[in-house]
Amino acid sequence: MTLRVPLLFRIAALVAGTTALYAYIGQLVPQKEVQPPQVIELPDDLTTQDMIPIGAQIFQGKGLCSTCHTIGKGGSAGLRFPDLDGIGSRAATRIEGLSDVEYLGQSLYEPDVFVVPGFNPGMPVMNKPPLELTDQEILAVIAYLQSLGGAPSVTMQTELRWAAGGS
Amino acid sequence: MTRGKLVLGIIGALLALVATVRIAQWLVGGEYRTPQRADEAQTTPRDQGLADERAADEKADQARPYVPPDYRPFPKIGSRVAVWVLAQLHLLFAAFVLAVPLFAFIIELIGYVTGDKRYDKLAYEFTKLLSAAFSLTATFGAFLTFALVALYPKFMNYLMEVFSPTFLPYVLLFFFEAAFLYSYYYGWGKFSPRVHLFLGLMLNLVGTAIMFIANAWLTFMMSPAGVSEKGALLSLGDAFMNYTWMPINIHRMIANVAFGGSIAGAYAAFKYLQAKTDDERAHYDWMGYIGNFVAISAFLPLPFAGYWLASEIYAFSQTMGLTMMGGAFSWLFIIQAALIGNLFLAANYYLWLGMGRIEGVQNYQKFIKYLLIAIALCFAVWATPRSILASVSEVRAMGGSTHPVLGYLGVMSAKNTAVNILILSTFMSFLLFRRTGKEATVTWRRAGNLAQQAIFFGAAAIVIFYGIYGYFVEARVRIKFSIPQVLSVLAAMALITVIDVFLYRGARRTGEVRWGRLPRISQYTLIFIAVSFTWLMGLMGYVRSGLRQHWHVYGVMRDQSVDAFTPTLGFATQVVSVTVLVFFALLGFVFWIASLAGDHGHGDTEEAA
Repeated sequence: MTLRVPLLFRIAALVAGTTALYAYIGQLVPQKEVQPPQVIELPDDLTTQDMIPIGAQIFQGKGLCSTCHTIGKGGSAGLRFPDLDGIGSRAATRIEGLSDVEYLGQSLYEPDVFVVPGFNPGMPVMNKPPLELTDQEILAVIAYLQSLGGAPSVTMQTELRWAAGGS
Repeated sequence: MTRGKLVLGIIGALLALVATVRIAQWLVGGEYRTPQRADEAQTTPRDQGLADERAADEKADQARPYVPPDYRPFPKIGSRVAVWVLAQLHLLFAAFVLAVPLFAFIIELIGYVTGDKRYDKLAYEFTKLLSAAFSLTATFGAFLTFALVALYPKFMNYLMEVFSPTFLPYVLLFFFEAAFLYSYYYGWGKFSPRVHLFLGLMLNLVGTAIMFIANAWLTFMMSPAGVSEKGALLSLGDAFMNYTWMPINIHRMIANVAFGGSIAGAYAAFKYLQAKTDDERAHYDWMGYIGNFVAISAFLPLPFAGYWLASEIYAFSQTMGLTMMGGAFSWLFIIQAALIGNLFLAANYYLWLGMGRIEGVQNYQKFIKYLLIAIALCFAVWATPRSILASVSEVRAMGGSTHPVLGYLGVMSAKNTAVNILILSTFMSFLLFRRTGKEATVTWRRAGNLAQQAIFFGAAAIVIFYGIYGYFVEARVRIKFSIPQVLSVLAAMALITVIDVFLYRGARRTGEVRWGRLPRISQYTLIFIAVSFTWLMGLMGYVRSGLRQHWHVYGVMRDQSVDAFTPTLGFATQVVSVTVLVFFALLGFVFWIASLAGDHGHGDTEEAA
């Protein structure tokens, strides 16, 4: 004798089973809760060396820089945005008349003014929404970028002309 | 001491305790009682003190300023999940209500032009599903509006500041939508065919206009325009026609048709499984086939509409685009690949089963295994992630989080190629189904077949060429390769279809279509497709909305609520699943109401079949 399951139950089981399957697939992928970024308070007396790890933290996190930029992947083929390995030494030579700090500052505040050859524009303005880095946070990021192959020289007192109150 | 005395002693002690407490309560309660002989008008110092306190409280209450709340909480599940579920339910029913009139109108028009009454009946059968669905759409719409106003008052205030001039047209259009829908449905067989078709046309136009207005509100949240950096309105036109407005309009319209077709197919499957006679089965088999045909026909161009939407998102904000494809949401697209792969497999399986109901199918059945291999391979490539979840030792062994071989399949060059071949393969399944049981009689049939094969393999070659070439060029060049890939597939589908129409005009029938002779598994496949479509709609609705992350209006108005974080994908899929289950429970109600509606003016099912 075979047990005959009513049609409605079979359909309900199919709907619930299919839904459960997709919900299960959803549990298999990496689970990451993304919190809204908080302003990082940086005291004025930070040394340049202190600024580097904070800049690295902003680079990886709040600034979302690592979503696009790689460090140490080499070659532009295959990359959508420039690799930043050695940017600390290249920055001073990119645009004539701009120091490394000024070049990096311009790249963060006015990214479309100069686009690295071979790449499309696409860098967001870092001090505007949605990223909204503060001027102090941007200085810390510059310190970190200088440390990638160069000698960090930026300080918390460095005044960039694009920053609020900058010259 | 006896046991009896001990019990009496305990009871006595308890009674003494109770008596002591009662006496103490009486004494304390009378502590400040007004003396019995005092004048009634005379108050005690305590009464005066209490009255003064009350007066002070009242004065403070009166002086309290009005502070409008930014947010209000929702019990248990929180405001965001409450609004999320309501919005999704509203959108699912709205999608259905907008889509069904579209293909019901087209089917009715085919019936009118060809004079075939079966099409008219089929269009009516589809329309029967609308009445209850329309009421549920409106109910959830109202529920959603009240929830938003109550739970997110500040944000809603801002949206009203920007979009209030669009509210009255929206309400008026909604009124017209109801008028056209009910006159279209209840007027079936009562108006002349042309008047009835006009009502159907107007129903579609008004419905589309409603969707376009609502899309302006939600796309503004995603890609705001026409406002200052601080959010002040500068141009309503720009706010309305923002970056993602038209891509969302097109994407939604196509997706709605695909979704609506799948739900109508599920209804037909349900009725097929319930059917008592062969004629009923024949009718609902045909209806299910048409529903699935509509769903898959609309589904094929959907990825191309998705490309356009994604490119507009990038054009508006690279940050948002990269959050979508490379950041917090990148893994969501692996879930999407699993869903779409399942949809393609199920749709093809249904078509292949369907070929079995046609005599003379053997000529074409041999191709199915090749199509299955192509589809399965493309599915596998599409679902391959770029980076893999791995332990530290596995990462070391691979030399990074990317697999040394499979990692190459996780990039866009491979995925674009896979999805285009997937679409071409499914199109071929359709073509085989269409040809089964027919033999072309035109003199140029050999040349026509060769031309179709050349176009098919030519398009596949173009897609694969650009897919491989993409690995060897810079990103700014590679990103443009999706355009020739897409265009070659679209052109191939259009050209092959046109040739096929002429090739099989006046074709000789080599076998009859035996409607109603499908195995029951085919009908469960239709229901599976409908559930998968619904789940996909829920998932993609989440990513579209979730891309704003901690912004109500991206870059303009920040979410300051406790729910401002982006939840895990696991949590999101759970919410989507619950919503889908609620939707199908309600859909059961819609199907039940539709089955009560009868068959006005169309005779019974047997006659029509």
